[in-house]
Amino acid sequence: MIEVDNLSAERSGQPVLRDVSLSVAPGAVTVLVGPSGGGKSTLLRCLTGLAEFSAGSVLIAGHRLDAGPQPVATLQAVRRDVGMVFQQFNLFPHLTALDNVMLAPRVVLGLLPVAARRRATDLLARVGLEEHAGKHPSQLSGGQQQRVAIARALAMQPKVMLFDEPTSSLDPAMTGEVLAVVAELARSGQTMVIVTHDHGFARRAATEVVQLAAGRVVARGAAGELL
Amino acid sequence: MSAVAWWKMSTGLALAVAACAGGAVAAELDEVRRRGELVWAADQEGGGPHVFPAPDDPRRLNGFEVELAGMIAERLGVKARFQQGAWDRLPLLLGGVADCVINGIESTPVRRRDYGCSRPYFAYALQIVARRDGALVTPEMLVAPGPRGPWQVGVLSASAAETEMRGRDPAAVFVRSFEGTLDSLEQVRGGVLDAAVLDDCIFTFYADRFPELRMVGRPFNGGVYTVLTARDTPALGAAIDEALGTLVADGSLEALYDRWDLGGRQQMLLIRDSADVAPAAVPEFRELLRRVVPTLLQGAAMTILLAVVSFPLAIVVGLVVAICRQYGPRWLDRTLSVYVEILRGTPLMLQLYAIFFLLPRVPLIGVQLPPLVSAVLGLALNYSAYESEIYRAGLKAVPLGQFEAALALGMSRLQALRHVVVPQAARIALPPVTSDFIAMFKDTSVCSVITVMELTKRYNILSLTTGRFFELAAVTAILYLMMSWPLALWVRRLERRLEPPGTGPAG
Ligand SMILES: Nc1ncnc2c1ncn2[C@@H]1O[C@H](COP(=O)(O)OP(=O)(O)OP(=O)(O)O)[C@@H](O)[C@H]1O
Ligand SMILES: [Mg+2]
Repeated sequence: MIEVDNLSAERSGQPVLRDVSLSVAPGAVTVLVGPSGGGKSTLLRCLTGLAEFSAGSVLIAGHRLDAGPQPVATLQAVRRDVGMVFQQFNLFPHLTALDNVMLAPRVVLGLLPVAARRRATDLLARVGLEEHAGKHPSQLSGGQQQRVAIARALAMQPKVMLFDEPTSSLDPAMTGEVLAVVAELARSGQTMVIVTHDHGFARRAATEVVQLAAGRVVARGAAGELL
Repeated sequence: MSAVAWWKMSTGLALAVAACAGGAVAAELDEVRRRGELVWAADQEGGGPHVFPAPDDPRRLNGFEVELAGMIAERLGVKARFQQGAWDRLPLLLGGVADCVINGIESTPVRRRDYGCSRPYFAYALQIVARRDGALVTPEMLVAPGPRGPWQVGVLSASAAETEMRGRDPAAVFVRSFEGTLDSLEQVRGGVLDAAVLDDCIFTFYADRFPELRMVGRPFNGGVYTVLTARDTPALGAAIDEALGTLVADGSLEALYDRWDLGGRQQMLLIRDSADVAPAAVPEFRELLRRVVPTLLQGAAMTILLAVVSFPLAIVVGLVVAICRQYGPRWLDRTLSVYVEILRGTPLMLQLYAIFFLLPRVPLIGVQLPPLVSAVLGLALNYSAYESEIYRAGLKAVPLGQFEAALALGMSRLQALRHVVVPQAARIALPPVTSDFIAMFKDTSVCSVITVMELTKRYNILSLTTGRFFELAAVTAILYLMMSWPLALWVRRLERRLEPPGTGPAG
């Protein structure tokens, strides 16, 4: 599902990723760990075309990304098939939870409002938020917001889901409710790459753990061996 | 930026208030003598042969009235000092800024009622002027519509020509009033107007500058010029009258007019035999309202039309400019920043003037736009610069994460802007944008310089024809408030509705 081949990236002239190679099988869950500044976020951003890289290539969900600027059509095709969940949620504050989830299916996939609404309602139920569909992000707790963000990404029915520290800005109680959703996704066979500092979660959910430090893969293996 | 016309109205109001409160006291004759100076007001923009800057030295004034003022002052045993003012507001300067007005002021019933009017010193008549190759060939043609609908006729704002032309059948004559004497002649030359109507001596003076134009018919509707003084300075008025009498008797006035090629002998006969103008009666307030309110409402409708058509255009153009600058290539940002700075850095009045009067003279691309189109275009472009800056601030205030989250969902840049960034930026921009909308209601008054008859212009005309500056200013101000107040209330409601719940103080 994902093949990263000798990927290198620079930011402001400094190398941030060096010769990173990575392979994720369909249905597998890869957890990225490593010290701050190691390049984990940058790698995820390269996978969904939000960041450019300078060498190597990425095969993801049947699309190919090469070094340098990529055609807009390729980027959009990749992003349609790859969902992303951010540490800061990045929900759209002017829309209700339901509208947050409905928006992309409507404008990107061209779904009719009834179809988009049905899909969004189902997803909100799946993350346990059906009663909060009409609320705005500002009326939801952090954990609820992150679950809406997950539902929003899932609404595009992505082949791959990327999570960048989804629980780092949450307190332990809320962390639990978000991780439960992620674990449920893993069980359902969703291919995922997750950046997290939560080793307990990594041990439970990861098919493979990859450790990044100073832009290089320094270790990889089963969660039990590495952590 | 403040509108000149609006400013005029406010000064009219202020002076009227001051006069009513007895605050300003016009200088009586003894005061003038003690001061050793007679302050006379005129508008050098009005042009020749009355008062105009000398061609070789614009700081010096020329004109037969400059010399006349000097001669009158000399008879009073004092020096003459010139005071500049806008022509249609000159009488308001008598509240204390000037002792008298000497500037082609026609003797009318309203002026006879409201001011001290001297004996006549000059006789004028109205002259129709048209293009040599134009459709208008006889004055009689002005009683019925022309080949392209009503004849388009230009006049000087607040002049006797304006009163005369506005009294005609609107189906036959459409009147456009200008602030400068030469503006209407330029527009006739350019083919925008079918004719201009002005005092005969003015066209005679400038005829060489407009070889394409000719006089249509003979001068008609004659009248006389008078020196205006304030009502409460009768001794000064009498002294000026006496001075004029001696100037006529000893032949110096006749010699003056001969020197200016204004036909001295004939002028002496005309002012000797001119009929007295009877003062107008003071209209009862109810009666005044009945006469002016329909016209003012017409002006208010034009004001609303200008604002509600121009502002949405300004919003759209401003939004496009802001997005291009924020998300477009660098060269586009640079180019558009020049656009914004030019429009913000020059007065709206100048921009309107350029669009209406100067654009037609640009080679190749020059077009003459109708006044209303020019006004809407000018307002929309001017405000688009301000709106674009407001939106840019709004766009900057939306976190980059919002744009990235939208892209990560597969949206194009345009979709991300449209569905995610712009709606949030719009909420941030709403309060300053709406206060700009209210500001535009007032800025529409500048459009009178390009002959659009909006509310302030209607006020100007009505206050001059009725002489009731104060009452009409109050009525006009109320009309402006009636437009902007509900708007302000509606905006406050809209703001409350657009605020996402949970963020407002009410929770
Ligand atoms: N836009 C940028 N400009 C310059 N340097 C950047 C930029 N983005 C990231 N970097 C640098 O790239 C390196 C990797 O950053 P990245 O955010 O990928 O690390 P990370 O592993 O996600 O760290 P963290 O655990 O703190 O999130 C860091 O040294 C960071 O300073
Ligand atoms: Mg990171």
